[in-house]
Amino acid sequence: MLNVTDLNAYYGEAQVLKDVSISVNQGQAVVMLGPNGHGKSTLLKSICGLVEKVQGGIEYKGQDINRLATEKIVNMGVTYIAENRELFPHMTVLENLKLGAYSKNARPHEKDNLEKVLALFPRLKDRQKQVASTMSGGEAKMLAVARGLMSNADFLCIDEPSLGLQPSLRFEIFSTLKEIIDQGKTVLIVEQNIPQIIELADRIYVMEEGSISFEGSKDEAFSDDHLKEIFLGM
Amino acid sequence: MNLSEDTILLLLELTDVIISGLTNGSVYALMAVGLTLVYGVTKAFNFAYGSFFNLGGYCAWLMILATGFVGGYFSIFIAVIPLMFAVGYGLEKAMVAPLRKRADWENKVMMLTLGLSLFMDNLYVAVFGGRVKSLPTILDGALTIGEVILNYQDIMIFFMSISGILFFGWILNNTRTGMAVQAVAQNPEGAKIVGIPEKHIFASTFAISTVMVGFSGILLSQKYFISPMSGGGIMIKSWVITAFGGMGSIRGGLYAAFIIGMLEAFVGWQFGMSYTMIALFVLLLTTLVVRPQGLMGKG
Repeated sequence: MLNVTDLNAYYGEAQVLKDVSISVNQGQAVVMLGPNGHGKSTLLKSICGLVEKVQGGIEYKGQDINRLATEKIVNMGVTYIAENRELFPHMTVLENLKLGAYSKNARPHEKDNLEKVLALFPRLKDRQKQVASTMSGGEAKMLAVARGLMSNADFLCIDEPSLGLQPSLRFEIFSTLKEIIDQGKTVLIVEQNIPQIIELADRIYVMEEGSISFEGSKDEAFSDDHLKEIFLGM
Repeated sequence: MNLSEDTILLLLELTDVIISGLTNGSVYALMAVGLTLVYGVTKAFNFAYGSFFNLGGYCAWLMILATGFVGGYFSIFIAVIPLMFAVGYGLEKAMVAPLRKRADWENKVMMLTLGLSLFMDNLYVAVFGGRVKSLPTILDGALTIGEVILNYQDIMIFFMSISGILFFGWILNNTRTGMAVQAVAQNPEGAKIVGIPEKHIFASTFAISTVMVGFSGILLSQKYFISPMSGGGIMIKSWVITAFGGMGSIRGGLYAAFIIGMLEAFVGWQFGMSYTMIALFVLLLTTLVVRPQGLMGKG
């Protein structure tokens, strides 16, 4: 479904990604691990057209999307759920969700998706009129994920969904992610604070210093001593 | 109650001053909301804003020349509003958007729009001549309440400006594009993420503001006149209102517009019209010293 080949990305002069190649098949859940600041978010943003200078191939459903504007990529069913949420602070929960369905591909499904999303996040249902900037970190995170789902995307790039959340909320986010994956969405998740996330992964990548240092199934990951030590804390 | 003749005259004069402040203030509000909207959404300073004010006036004048005022102001608005929108949209796409990718683009946009205003003002002189043009009154006659005379013209200006503001407010809060405009203003990155085409929104916002100032231009020009070089003064006034109200704050711009409309009317009445600009700058400088973020600006 998604094939990234030899991707190089830059912020100004600094090269953040070096010859990164990954692939994600339809219906898969792929988890990307790696230390902070080593380019995981940049990879997700590059896929979604949010990084200015990107060289290499990004192919989605057989089409090269590297040169496309973000709105076109969103319209093809790819969405980015940001680690720092990127909500519209002075708008209500409902307004944020509705803007999530801005792209043409999402508009006809707005009602259905809103129902689904509110069923998935009962907390948001009670707070539809609340202004986003007054929400707690956990609720805002849920809103960000919910807004991403409103785009009717088949392919979700989820960036550190549990970042800055207390353990009980982490578990809640985890079960929501599980539900999203069970519904058949394809996901590429950057996440390292929820060890259980590995259980959901069909495939694992590790990124270090802008390059992929490991790729394989979860069994392979569990048997790799270097990985176990650094990322799984075992 | 027995009032002396002098007191009655004073009260009548005062009523005139307040009416003038309210009508001018309402048009200023329309102009300032347009300018503050562009700044809030695109972060670009538009120094050609005043020249678009006169563009509205001249378009109306040309239309009357060409069609002989068929359909009155109704047909003028129907024709000129889409035209102003197209001009604003096209100019943003052609001139402002290409600069956005460059370093220090804000200053470049300032220089560019300043140049554009010089070009437009001089074009007006070349095409229409240096002498002022006048437009037919939007509605003749007056409403008399006791001693107080209210021109229908003033009532129309007030009513149409307020309707204009309410209409744009409605668009902003009730249409998909309006919500997208707000989204870009509140969080450009978030807007990109949900698939809002930023470039289209920038151009649309610029176009909407061009409509607002062009519409203001028609409203005020039919009360006063169209003068080719007056764009600079209008631009300064719009900026003073925007800075006084708080950059990017629509509510602040509204309050500031009425305060400045009133201030102008009172200063003009007490000291003469030539003092109004001085009063504006005293107000601006005081604001910048005492409350640099403006009435309702953030930080």
